[in-house]
Amino acid sequence: MTENAPASMYRTDEGMGLWEHRGKVAAVGVGHSPTARRWDGRAETCVGAISLIALRRAIEDAGVDPAEIDGLVMDPVTTTGAYWPKGKPVPEEVTSAFNCTDNPLDGIAGLSAEWILKNMPELTGIDFTMYGPGCMSNAICVAAQAVGDGLANTCLVLKSWHNYEGRYYQGGANAGSDLPGTAALHALWGTPACYGTALQFAEYCRKYGKNHDMMAPFIENSRQNGLKFPEGYWASHRPEEITPEDYKAARWIAKPANLFDNDLPIMVSAAYLYTTAERARDMRQKPVYILNHAASNTRPRSLTPTLDEVEADTARTARKIYEGAGITAADLSFENMYDGFAQFHQFHIEGLGYRGMKFGEALDFYQTDISIHGPNPILPSGGNIGCGRSRFWMHTDCIQQIQQRAGERQVTGVKPEVAVSGGPMPLGGRFTVWSATPD
Amino acid sequence: MILISFDIDGTLTVGDPPGILPMDMVRAVKEQGCLVGSCSDRPISAQRAIWASHDIEVDFTVSKHMLPDVKAEFEADVYYHIGDREDLDRRPALEAGFEFLWPHEAADMPWVEGPDA
Amino acid sequence: MPKQGVVPDDLTRPFWEAANEHRLVIQSCVACKHLQHPPAPVCRVCGSDTVEWKEMSGRGTIYNYGVVHDCPIRLLQEDQPFNVAVVMLAEDPGIQMYSHLPGTPVDEVPVGAEVEVTFEATANGQMVPEWRVVGSSEGGEQA
Ligand SMILES: [Zn+2]
Repeated sequence: MTENAPASMYRTDEGMGLWEHRGKVAAVGVGHSPTARRWDGRAETCVGAISLIALRRAIEDAGVDPAEIDGLVMDPVTTTGAYWPKGKPVPEEVTSAFNCTDNPLDGIAGLSAEWILKNMPELTGIDFTMYGPGCMSNAICVAAQAVGDGLANTCLVLKSWHNYEGRYYQGGANAGSDLPGTAALHALWGTPACYGTALQFAEYCRKYGKNHDMMAPFIENSRQNGLKFPEGYWASHRPEEITPEDYKAARWIAKPANLFDNDLPIMVSAAYLYTTAERARDMRQKPVYILNHAASNTRPRSLTPTLDEVEADTARTARKIYEGAGITAADLSFENMYDGFAQFHQFHIEGLGYRGMKFGEALDFYQTDISIHGPNPILPSGGNIGCGRSRFWMHTDCIQQIQQRAGERQVTGVKPEVAVSGGPMPLGGRFTVWSATPD
Repeated sequence: MILISFDIDGTLTVGDPPGILPMDMVRAVKEQGCLVGSCSDRPISAQRAIWASHDIEVDFTVSKHMLPDVKAEFEADVYYHIGDREDLDRRPALEAGFEFLWPHEAADMPWVEGPDA
Repeated sequence: MPKQGVVPDDLTRPFWEAANEHRLVIQSCVACKHLQHPPAPVCRVCGSDTVEWKEMSGRGTIYNYGVVHDCPIRLLQEDQPFNVAVVMLAEDPGIQMYSHLPGTPVDEVPVGAEVEVTFEATANGQMVPEWRVVGSSEGGEQA
């Protein structure tokens, strides 16, 4: 049985000093599956199948013998908000295409480590599996700590997403009539997922005298960068820009959050190969060293985080990030903090003090050159806005930028040496510091 | 004068997901003199690009919530919106004073003379 | 506005039962007096499992709001767009409650204004606390 990573594997506290494995763990391989808007019901496109594609591509990218891999860290939850309808039969042509586990929906509506191992016979040496649930941001923290602690030497990290027909969040409880009492305290008022972030953004605009239109350059830049991410949904399916005019004309979802402040749920999988700095030396790709990982477990006092709570926590997170990595904001070549929803990206980077930024200044910063070719790149991955909902584009981009193989997306205005990525939300995120050198 | 607003995704064959109404149908109603355009969640620039790539000169390209603006801008005897979604097409269309048609209903309308008209 | 029915669970039953009596109660720690909402089995500050329910005055202020244009709940879609405000309780501004703000026009929410609690029935008859701007008309969409 694969267990969730214990809380002790995340670096949650301030004052922990330099990460004990700083520079001793490296990312050496990246693999992405193709993307799809929704599952088309075929065996070769189910969430299990696309996971196998991503894992095998990461292994090949690193140039490692699969038999040498001894660890697997992943998230067993794969839903974007879409659930397998109760009572709907599991298609036999799908289950018969794979080696199944006891759970008939394994590989279709979720993913166990057992399912992966049963369907990747080439992984003969795995003796460590662990779940880093939530998103890739969590899984890579767990993998980094596991490799550093010696629980695994060469470790695959995997995050996959499934999406089905129907509208986001309109299945499950939202479609029914009565709500359980605890859920009702939040859900009775019919707020869409972006509402909480929209509230924080509204308060931010009131406090600092900013407005929604000021987000337009960020959205435009994110999509431009995303269209240079060949693995991304928009680049591979619908190469559409979002101009400032497009952005300002979009309909509200929960004002002040509009359609393009939200990301698009998709099916996609990504895998990375982590190993020790020592082992990384003779692998195919240039190692990208992990200087630190950090976590926030902060919860809001009441129903939804206030701006004060958000700012206090992003500042605290930044202190943890810098302390464990032994760096300062001035060392960051670029940032790749999470953006799904777009309206909290500024909280992350203001907390970081990216380019000396203070609270309330990010939207002004967005009006300057934030492109990959300038001195102050913002989210060169394009994030979820640029590539679709995966919560991992930013990690892949940090690795590829530092390896100088981000292709058209490669930053040219700065030398890619140290970067930070992570998320999802400002409260409760997981973050990684990447570096071209181990020290 | 008839004005026809087309949703794209789930309505036109070029949509994502593809709908049942071919671009030739849009071209046909346009050639018959109807005012034609799109009302979609796609970025407006992307809507324009779709029409340009099919050599169809439309009268408007607007976001999903902008049917009232279309009605204010264009004088017509009857306004139709064709779409595949209750919450994002039918309800807002009726609220904006448009007649609403599901794609399969639109395919049977008298102003559609077939794809090669 | 219509709201889905509510089936009280163990954790929240006192809150919902009080609402049926037109009273607003919030969980309070006996040991450290900390108020908390949403409720939890133990105090989130001191960890004590002795929590009680305290009646509130039903006064508060509007802290923030958004306007919902694309609601995931079908029952409410007919009423789009609608306000969803966050109310802070007079007893402790750290305690928030959501409100449709009956009587307040869409997107004309007076942030910082005083509000008072009112109770409305959900689809299954369970009453739920709602909030009204003090001095606002009794009309509005609530009927
Ligand atoms: Zn206490």
